[in-house]
Amino acid sequence: MIERLSVYSTESQDPYRNLAIELGLTMAVEPGECILFLWQNRKTVVIGKNQNCWRECRVSELEAAGGHLARRLSGGGAVFHDLGNLNFTFCVREEDEDVPRQMEVILRAVRGLGIEAAMSGRNDLTAQGRKFSGNAFCRSGGRCCHHGTLLVDVDRREMERYLNVRAEKLRSNGVESVRSRTVNLKELCPGLTIPALKSALAEAFAQTYGLPAVELPDSRVDWSEVERWEAQFASWEWKYGRRIAFQNEIERRFPWGGISIGFNVEAGVIREARVYSDAMDESFPSELEKLLTGCRYDTGDIVSKLDGLSAEPGEIVRDIKEFILSAL
Amino acid sequence: MNHPDELLYSKSHEWAKFLDDTTALIGLTDYAQDALGDLVFVNLPEVGDEVTAGEAFADVESVKAVSDVFSPVTGTVAEINEDLLDSPEMMNEDPYGAWLIKVENITDREELMDSGDYVNFYENQE
Repeated sequence: MIERLSVYSTESQDPYRNLAIELGLTMAVEPGECILFLWQNRKTVVIGKNQNCWRECRVSELEAAGGHLARRLSGGGAVFHDLGNLNFTFCVREEDEDVPRQMEVILRAVRGLGIEAAMSGRNDLTAQGRKFSGNAFCRSGGRCCHHGTLLVDVDRREMERYLNVRAEKLRSNGVESVRSRTVNLKELCPGLTIPALKSALAEAFAQTYGLPAVELPDSRVDWSEVERWEAQFASWEWKYGRRIAFQNEIERRFPWGGISIGFNVEAGVIREARVYSDAMDESFPSELEKLLTGCRYDTGDIVSKLDGLSAEPGEIVRDIKEFILSAL
Repeated sequence: MNHPDELLYSKSHEWAKFLDDTTALIGLTDYAQDALGDLVFVNLPEVGDEVTAGEAFADVESVKAVSDVFSPVTGTVAEINEDLLDSPEMMNEDPYGAWLIKVENITDREELMDSGDYVNFYENQE
């Protein structure tokens, strides 16, 4: 039974920091307590725990534009965050988890703004049939974390751009995202701001449980653990190196000939590369295969490896670099 | 719901099938797979990893959540069921055929229930 409500908010817009704070709050929650955490990430694609980032997100394009890729602990699909999006998290002990009631907090806040909101399936909140909130859950060590997005004024062109992957030949295990039609709450409630939605949520939280919501003091969180988790969330191994094996194949024609590259990737590293080309230089496919094998499946790493390629004329190397940058 | 007599069951809804005194297959019970919903992914340990009775050794993602799977025994992972990596839905379709890991050199186990006690346990829990 929930007897105490706590609210925590952060100024951090760093996705790895925020995931670590969320975990810190999940570890800090006490029996009978529900913590509501409100937070925002600057330009980030957040994927589910068991997703292949390259299938779900245009990673190199996102990163070249200064965005971040983050992998959360909960399941489900890929979402785009920017400062037009507000995230919420409910942290409770397992015996206190009440998903319908937690959803009720969000619905109450949004309805209070005059928006007709409804649950759709288990994980989505919609208005006029379009999704404005995606929810995901994880349970570990007797603690539950339920979090979700709230699209207020997200740049939907950017969302489309980074989540729209054209990788017809990518074959992978892992959880696939489900595409949804989305809507920004600001379209339905002109003038809505993030601070206004935050206060509406805090108010709805207190009303739904019939208890006062008190600000959670920083001292409740183990910040040295948060530091450690932040480094883990930001690490290459967590973001890209999870054991979700996959194969991909890319091909293109150039004035000097056609090229096709097949990748067999394990834990983010190219275990095997197969290169076919009808270009003049016969040695370069096998040379390229050797360079790629053992390299991280990362456009930056691959492109710097290509400097070691001795193909003539020099434009072949330049073309392949551009090809890798645009096709992976 | 089906809970075969020849298996032992934990309170966290895993089953153990002892092949001899120190070797067992571990899986999720019919009750667990039903409560979790459609399973879409499983993270398994590696062969040679140590597992400890009462501690998480794997996690599964269902359409509802990511959840830990706890080991009913202490021992060493001798085999993992690689088929589940490609076809996690087998845990829903055939929970007692879809073992997750085979543990050897078992030195300890949780308090495990027979099928009758297990059914009583989860019926009282609901």
